[in-house]
Amino acid sequence: MVNPLILLHAFLAEIGLFAFLWIVVELLNPTESRIQRAQIAAVVGVCGLYLAWLFGGFYYVEVYGLHIKPLISASDAKWTHSIVMEVKEHVFLFLPILGTVILAFLLKFDSQLIENKDARVSVILMAGMVFLLGFALAGMGALISSGYRVALQAGQI
Amino acid sequence: MKPRALTRAATITIAWIVLATIGSELSAEFNGLLATIGAHDWIGKSIVSIIFFGLFYFIFAKAANDDFSLKDTWQLLLTTVFGGLIILIFYVMHA
Repeated sequence: MVNPLILLHAFLAEIGLFAFLWIVVELLNPTESRIQRAQIAAVVGVCGLYLAWLFGGFYYVEVYGLHIKPLISASDAKWTHSIVMEVKEHVFLFLPILGTVILAFLLKFDSQLIENKDARVSVILMAGMVFLLGFALAGMGALISSGYRVALQAGQI
Repeated sequence: MKPRALTRAATITIAWIVLATIGSELSAEFNGLLATIGAHDWIGKSIVSIIFFGLFYFIFAKAANDDFSLKDTWQLLLTTVFGGLIILIFYVMHA
């Protein structure tokens, strides 16, 4: 049975990622209404990231650390923890920071994003970075799940 | 809200996360210190990151000059990319 916390973590993080992709699309050719939608997307994205942080963090400390990490670390797939999970849990910390900056830029510059190219390009680049990094982290999550399956199968032999 | 102060605060905070990540692996004392902040070293890093972000923003916001340019964003993005690579390389070598 899959722990609901990890499903929540993944779901919220994916919502967050795609919200930032939405921001990129809206700002490629901005109008006032597109900027407003980008602002809404930024709120959704930041909420998604912070909630994913909360639920993922709780799961990591209370479930993964106690029950899953020992199994993975004792298996042939121990690199999925020692490299992949360690990278994922620390690089993830970049995302809420970046997301907060993006939201603040969208609210601060607002309709000026139509004329202010530096600010607009900044938001597009930062939001694109959040999407790409987050996508990579999601892939790492899948690798870690695979590592757990390897560990479980090894335990059944 | 000052955009330049915000990007600089984010840049410094991400750099701190990278240093804290490596530091906590290499120093048991530093790892223990982070664990006392949040019952787990990762929670300690999370809490301190948020505090540092806010603190650095207020420090940089005090500066009179807040002429934001794309250069500030590039500094943030390059710190993010290189920070991620440093963490990856560290754990590949440390595993």
